[in-house]
Amino acid sequence: MAIEHDAAETIFDENDVVTTDDVPLLEVEGLTTSFKTEAGRLVAVDDIDFTVDSGETVCIVGESGSGKTVATESVTQLIKQPPGTIGGTVRFKGQDLMDLTEKQLRSIRGNEIAHIFQNPQEAMNHCYTVGWQITEAIQIHEDVSKKVARARGVDLLDRVGIDNASARFDDYPHEFSGGQKQRIMIAMALVGNPDLLLADEPTTALDVTVQAQILRLLNDLQEEFGMGILFVTHDLGVVAEIADRVIVMYSGKIMESADVFEIFERPAHPYTQALMKCLPERGGDQRGGIPGRLPNPTNPPDGCRFAARCEHATEDCEVGEQPPQIEIAPDHHVSCIYYGEGYDSSVVRDAELEAANAPETEANR
Amino acid sequence: MGLARYVAARTIWAALVSFIIVTVTFLLLALAPNPSISQAATQAALEGGDPATAVEQQEQLRGLDQPLYVRYMDFVQGVYTLEWGWSQNRAQPVTEALWQGIYYTAQYSIPWTILTLIIGPLVGLYSAANMYSWKDHLATGFAFFGWAIPNFFFGIILLVIFGVWLQWFPIQYDTSVPVFSLANAHQLFLPVFVLVTGSIGAVMRVSRNESAEFQNADFMKTAKAKGVSPTRAYAYHVMRPTMVPLSTTIVSQLLVIFLGSSLLIEIVFGIPGLGRVTFDALINQDTNLVLGATLLFTFIAVIGNLIEDLVFTIMDPRISFDDR
Repeated sequence: MAIEHDAAETIFDENDVVTTDDVPLLEVEGLTTSFKTEAGRLVAVDDIDFTVDSGETVCIVGESGSGKTVATESVTQLIKQPPGTIGGTVRFKGQDLMDLTEKQLRSIRGNEIAHIFQNPQEAMNHCYTVGWQITEAIQIHEDVSKKVARARGVDLLDRVGIDNASARFDDYPHEFSGGQKQRIMIAMALVGNPDLLLADEPTTALDVTVQAQILRLLNDLQEEFGMGILFVTHDLGVVAEIADRVIVMYSGKIMESADVFEIFERPAHPYTQALMKCLPERGGDQRGGIPGRLPNPTNPPDGCRFAARCEHATEDCEVGEQPPQIEIAPDHHVSCIYYGEGYDSSVVRDAELEAANAPETEANR
Repeated sequence: MGLARYVAARTIWAALVSFIIVTVTFLLLALAPNPSISQAATQAALEGGDPATAVEQQEQLRGLDQPLYVRYMDFVQGVYTLEWGWSQNRAQPVTEALWQGIYYTAQYSIPWTILTLIIGPLVGLYSAANMYSWKDHLATGFAFFGWAIPNFFFGIILLVIFGVWLQWFPIQYDTSVPVFSLANAHQLFLPVFVLVTGSIGAVMRVSRNESAEFQNADFMKTAKAKGVSPTRAYAYHVMRPTMVPLSTTIVSQLLVIFLGSSLLIEIVFGIPGLGRVTFDALINQDTNLVLGATLLFTFIAVIGNLIEDLVFTIMDPRISFDDR
């Protein structure tokens, strides 16, 4: 997936605040999302930074409950507030989305920033035809007639690979298969020619063959529209297939972030390594998953969030804050004290994994 | 088409049910002692005649000497050709008496039904949208109050306060005012108010619970992600699926109150409607009119259930008609 800045530039609106090449499409800084619960304040996403460029696919990986979904839903503030509270800055084409009113956000949602979700079975309203739901998405953002919207909708359905699109336009969601429903959701996401697509585990509920088709479709559409994709998944196999860059999240914090080749060839954080060891086809032997559990999100431990489950953890790992993001190679950041001054980073490197992954990843590209 | 076949099958079934009810009614009547025959026997005995001959005469007069199946055919024919007999007490045909009752009952039932259809679901939706806030508690409290308090009792209290003490509303129902007039709306305000508060309780409760479920559904997140405003999301994405289970509640709730409470309401407010006609017929042992009123209520219930089923099936697109 080559980054095509020129192509991306042309679909920018005229009223954009900044449209220079050095401003990332999406730039998130200090994003913190918490929820008021009966057990206290639950911090689902804790002070994370990341960027997504046009035409680029960034994957957020991590096990369930690590805050991946909340992070993506915080971007356009889909999270209900209250009980949720979103802090930090989310700059989209240079404009901080946190400064916008709810009405301004609505004009961006589904238009410039689109979402697709994990469960296509439930993501559409069962009482309306798919055509009605696509037309609704079009007519909310554009003042077009029903006829025009319908024609556009049929084209989009056709584009995402629904056979006989004009005849199936008036069918209800339950008359489509899971894979077709996800295609329809993608068509609905494309109505506004989005610059950014937030895809929250869009293939998790689908079987493997359908999953591959959907990933290919997203890849094609990205090349066609030049959009940036923020893709949430817990499946490292999917990551290897589609990602340009990878962010590894654990308990609301970013553990490691790097280029996709870099992260598979030199997984630096013990958590990233543990995730990879769960993949048998990548030389992993940890079939039973990572021992231990995620920390309590309402009362996270001091120090590194992963310390309790980390085989290399020392006393230093359990004091203070989460270790800072240390750059160990160009654009490869790790939040682990072993990479800091006075520690020996070779202790945490996993030569076995690095050897097993180096050729594998190349083969996958 | 599947839908047309389903509607046809369901309608035939409803007709069959009504037929069974007519049959059972006939059998019950045939088995019950006829008061006019025992009356004739008593009278003959008092006057020194032969009670047995009097009974025979009376039976012959009423066609009761015929075999059971002939009487049954006669009865069924009478029911379906709307020849429901003569009301002795009102000295007019039963159908005419019932029509006169319906004329007054409809005047408060139609506004009551429309208001319930509009207010009930909306209050429930409003409550769900503001769940556990003081607005929700107020709306829920109001709905439960109306649901819990017996309609006739509530009616009497309102009559005493607003009719007798404050004199805002007339106490006596006036049949001489035109149907579509302010005076009629004025005098029907209290009965309609009582019935609406009585029926929206259940409707509002179901509406609140169902829409609470749908407002947290995944498709609401999709709608928000599409840029749909909260108002539109509630109006289209929550209300529409809520109407599916709600439709059955509304129909059954209206039926229950129509068949039960409206009778009491008519007596409290002195409206000479269907309930009043039935009540008077019962008191005066006007058998034909009681039978006619009973059949009418039964038919309304059968038709109501038919509507309930059809509405439910048509509203939920996921229900397949072919499997039925």
